[in-house]
Amino acid sequence: MIVIFVGVTIVFIVPRLTPMDPVQSIISRVTALVDTDPRAVEKLVETLTDLYGLRGSLLEQYLRFWKHLLSGDLGPSLTMFPASVVDIIKISLPWTIGLMTISTIIAWLLGIILGTLAGYFSNKRWSQILGTVVMCIYPIPYYIIALILVLLFAYLLPIFPLMGGASIGLKPSFSWSFITSLLKHGFLPAISLVIGTIGWIFMSQRALISRLVASDFIVFAETASLPRKKILSYLIRNSMLPQITDLALSLGGIFSGAIITEQVFSYPGIGVVLYSAILQGDFNLMMGISIFSIIGIATAALVLDLIYPLLDPRIRYK
Amino acid sequence: MRSNPLSIVKVEELKAYYVSESYGINSVVKAVDDVSFEIYEDEILGIAGESGCGKTTLLKTLLGTIKPPLSIFGGRIFYRIEDEYRDILSFREGELRDIRWKIVSYIPQGSMSVLNPVRKIKDTFLDFMEAHRPDISKSEFDSLVKNYLGALGLPTEVLDSYPHQLSGGMRQRVTIALSTIFKPKIVLADEPTTALDVVVQRGILQLLRKIQREEKNTLVVVSHDMGVHARISDRVGIMYAGKIIEIGNTEEIYTNPLHPYTRYLISSLPKIGDKAYRTGVPGSPPSLSNLPAGCRFQDRCPEIKDICREEEPSLVEVNDNHKVACFLVSKGEENYES
Repeated sequence: MIVIFVGVTIVFIVPRLTPMDPVQSIISRVTALVDTDPRAVEKLVETLTDLYGLRGSLLEQYLRFWKHLLSGDLGPSLTMFPASVVDIIKISLPWTIGLMTISTIIAWLLGIILGTLAGYFSNKRWSQILGTVVMCIYPIPYYIIALILVLLFAYLLPIFPLMGGASIGLKPSFSWSFITSLLKHGFLPAISLVIGTIGWIFMSQRALISRLVASDFIVFAETASLPRKKILSYLIRNSMLPQITDLALSLGGIFSGAIITEQVFSYPGIGVVLYSAILQGDFNLMMGISIFSIIGIATAALVLDLIYPLLDPRIRYK
Repeated sequence: MRSNPLSIVKVEELKAYYVSESYGINSVVKAVDDVSFEIYEDEILGIAGESGCGKTTLLKTLLGTIKPPLSIFGGRIFYRIEDEYRDILSFREGELRDIRWKIVSYIPQGSMSVLNPVRKIKDTFLDFMEAHRPDISKSEFDSLVKNYLGALGLPTEVLDSYPHQLSGGMRQRVTIALSTIFKPKIVLADEPTTALDVVVQRGILQLLRKIQREEKNTLVVVSHDMGVHARISDRVGIMYAGKIIEIGNTEEIYTNPLHPYTRYLISSLPKIGDKAYRTGVPGSPPSLSNLPAGCRFQDRCPEIKDICREEEPSLVEVNDNHKVACFLVSKGEENYES
């Protein structure tokens, strides 16, 4: 709870420290199009300031902000007025959650399995080749991987659609055509996310396993001719604690979206929304998204604390 | 000559070296160098020697767990399997896996962390059963494990515990139970009492001895502690710098040690009532990657002769159950024979 409180407070303060003034940016947009009476402009400024909750001292704003937040109201979006922040998030969040949950879990599972095998059979040829390949891919910046994928499979070889989350005009439903379209559109972003995150998981798992392989209980189990399957399960079980932490925190981090992925693949997720909110100084929207991601991470940390004792019997809370 | 007792393991001219290459320079550590001895049925053989003299390496080769950088440079290890002597160094990996725990099992050094920390003791036993006795049903196994642990002085609650909930002595007993429950013919114990306090040590040694006496199998105990060997072993082999330099009945060795190194080891043991100052062996053992010509003990030997610097003494029989590798004995030094 303290975490959430402090986080939300920071989220409140930081945008107000930026030099951007959302009211002025709207005014300038309006006045650029039509000549307006200065008195009308003044009136407009006043109304907008009121509407955006920017009236009064910082403290007053802060208290009002909490009052609204506790009743579930994040206010209107400043740039996509009059849509409310909650509505915008409600539309874009499912896309991001769907895409990222699936790709994070796939990357995690694959990384754990491959990392375990590579760590256990570390002197086999294929394991060294796999390690080298991952080593080569790992340092490539993520946006380059994403761009290469777009270029190759959507532009040069148009196997996959270039943009969007599903074909335009299809209504979200459980129909066959919607699901295939969804999968087709989601494939490239998901693959890029898997490639982008698997390197770290693979390498950390391989390092964990190669340390465990030399530990007394594995050596003893090997000497006792326990079957390979059993030994691999011992290894995976004992490497789970740090890896589950990693998984849960990345799942909790989903709410802040994958900004680069969504930009490159024009995916209608929350990352794109956040990006444009930052560019346009949309305080309310920024705060809304940040609050979601703070709650996401804090919940993940809480869930972790609760499941640690299940993973490792040596951890007990009194 | 000696027809009785029957040997169950024969080691002949075994050479096991660690080979490592770094920056193009090969270094060979001769951890076990030309060692020959026999292990008999129904006995406890102790192997003594200071750290880094090849005791653990010898056990590893006996178990057939030879992994790089360790490799075998010669010699044979015969196990008597179904009344037939078979060289396990010629076995394939699969065959080696098959003999472990059925014929030869192992109690590891530093048993504090040899149990899977996230698995209940019961499940660990179950894993071992699935690997070695898939024919036993689960309910039979339950009673087998419970009875066995009871016989080793462990309460049945142990089965539902995790390793970290047990004391060091209990963990060591559990490990011993894991290694002996399937009644192997030979049990190799590597420093079974290190990291335990003396009271628990005594209990563990009594336990090992009791199991051996009941099963009439063979126990090989490796320990640097001469006191352990005096208490438990029927025969003792002394290793020094990768070689067995003296081997014989425990009583023989302790009352009539022939090799100067053995004499040093035994005179370092405290005796009740004797307040004399105990001296250790002066100097330190030679590097196993750069051994001197001649006897390996030459630099620390108080009675060195010219021949010791030129030739390496071989293990010669002093009497039926006593062999020693020292020129002081083999070159007719009458006063050193009993």
